[in-house]
Amino acid sequence: MTQALEIRDLSVRYASKGLALDSVSLSIPKSGVVALLGANGAGKTTLIRAISGLLPLHGGQIVQGSIQMDGQSVLGVPAHTLVRRGLGQVPEGRLVFKQLSVEENLKVGAAVLPRATEKERLDGVYALFPRLLERRRQAAGWLSGGEQQMLALGRALVTQPRLLLVDELSLGLAPLIVSAIYKQLDLVGKTLGASILVVEQNARLALNFAATAYVLERGRITLSGPSEEVALSAVVKESYLGAIKQEREA
Amino acid sequence: MTHNVDSSPRAGLPWARTLRWLVAVAALVYLPTLLTERQIFGYALSNMQLLNIGLSQVNLMLITMLGALSLNYLTGSAGLISIGHAAFYAVGAMSAAITGSQWGWPFPAVLVAAALSGALAGLFAGLPSLRVRGLYFVLSTFALHYIVVFIFMEYQFKFFDVVGVPYKAAELGSWALNTPTRWYFFLLPLVVAVYWLLHNSLRTREGRAMQAMRDHELAATANGIDVRILRLKAFAFSSSIAAVGGALYAYYLTNVTSEFFGIQFAIQFIAMIIIGGMGSLPGAVVGAAVWLLLPSIINGLAAQAGDTTGLVRSMLFDHKPQLVQPIFGSVVILLLIFAPWGITGMVSRLQAKFAARRAKS
Repeated sequence: MTQALEIRDLSVRYASKGLALDSVSLSIPKSGVVALLGANGAGKTTLIRAISGLLPLHGGQIVQGSIQMDGQSVLGVPAHTLVRRGLGQVPEGRLVFKQLSVEENLKVGAAVLPRATEKERLDGVYALFPRLLERRRQAAGWLSGGEQQMLALGRALVTQPRLLLVDELSLGLAPLIVSAIYKQLDLVGKTLGASILVVEQNARLALNFAATAYVLERGRITLSGPSEEVALSAVVKESYLGAIKQEREA
Repeated sequence: MTHNVDSSPRAGLPWARTLRWLVAVAALVYLPTLLTERQIFGYALSNMQLLNIGLSQVNLMLITMLGALSLNYLTGSAGLISIGHAAFYAVGAMSAAITGSQWGWPFPAVLVAAALSGALAGLFAGLPSLRVRGLYFVLSTFALHYIVVFIFMEYQFKFFDVVGVPYKAAELGSWALNTPTRWYFFLLPLVVAVYWLLHNSLRTREGRAMQAMRDHELAATANGIDVRILRLKAFAFSSSIAAVGGALYAYYLTNVTSEFFGIQFAIQFIAMIIIGGMGSLPGAVVGAAVWLLLPSIINGLAAQAGDTTGLVRSMLFDHKPQLVQPIFGSVVILLLIFAPWGITGMVSRLQAKFAARRAKS
């Protein structure tokens, strides 16, 4: 069976520096939810950029390997056309269009859709996040951090992507808001049947959310498997869940 | 630029709105009569009561507004700044010289040709934007300016002479634009139409995409927007409007030389949008008005004050041109210090303040 996303032996280099990703392999089954864990600088965002075709914008270059979405290679495909092929993305740092209103932000997301479906899709997002409906005429820059994250997610969901990349969704947000957004994300995954790749620093959250997890360290996948197993591994416990450390301190 | 704060119940009555529009239209229609007859309902006005402004200045202002509008559209929608807008004026003037003065095309066709050649030049000028950003892009438009002015000069000397390129009288069918009033009634609707066009284009899919691109290029790309094509489109659109401005400028002045399009001509557009408010269309209108009318107002004031006493008189009257520049410069600096967001930005901030105060009480 073809995977929603299949990455094989991917290596990436920025300018003349060393490899940012070294022979990374990762696969996401159809409708599967996968978490990518790793410390700062491990290469998580680089991997996201490689998938979404945004590497050239950052001066990065794929040295070797392959990336396939639904069995088709996406290497060298311009980033903006991937959206039409079913890729949705919630970029790190939210990056909402601050001077546009909430609705206009969603409409930018819907720009690749036929006009007839636009309203229906917008309503779908509003049903998911009623807060956005309340504030639909407000400039996005005036929203709170949580609302901006909802908007960034909503903007990606408007196209009903088959594969959704979510980069550091929890960054700088209150835990309650994060869990609320994740709940909606879970709902979306189930109703749309979308495959989701979440990149998270909050390992506990990500491991609860995803069925499979990969751990990225210095550009290499050091551990992968079902989330429960990954959560039990000594490395993850120590580095990401802080379990052993706490015991020692206690 | 849109600041979509929750819609306030500001003057919600529909008839009040209509009335305001009617008054504005009536004032604009009456303006040329006022400025040529220099009296209002039989009551004669002195020069200073009319702020030392004549209709020709208003017409030049309208033509310049096209440049300011197109530049502010570029900054406001696409986030690009160009020093090349004088070059597009020159492109328009040159295209008008070829099609109008040499080939004898009618005036409306000349304007269309200017728009097309402006778009083409803009496409070329926008190409560096695919590779370079920010200051580097500004520099590339700077280079473009010198290239175009050089070509204009060569063209002028090859086919005309040092006196400049002569333009025919502008005619719309049998209606000759031979008085300032007629020019006014041709230019005003044109500027309004361009304003309306630009304003509405920001509300289309592409317009929103452009604003998205301005805010976050990366997020825009991730939403399926091809920023390269969009940037070129914005540039071509903006420069075609500027080129029409250039053709109008040439026809209005009836004779133009390459020296008209110096670097100061280029900088003035940037100054206008900074004064009026970066990235906002009303800002372009206000900025162009201030830039073109304020010097003449200061000039008038200096002349009037010059009628008074000995020393002040000699100071003001004999050194009038030297005085106008520093006063104007100081006003601009004060504006930049106290209203860096431009005049329109200042006004909307004050409005918001008053609204908040009213809401409190």
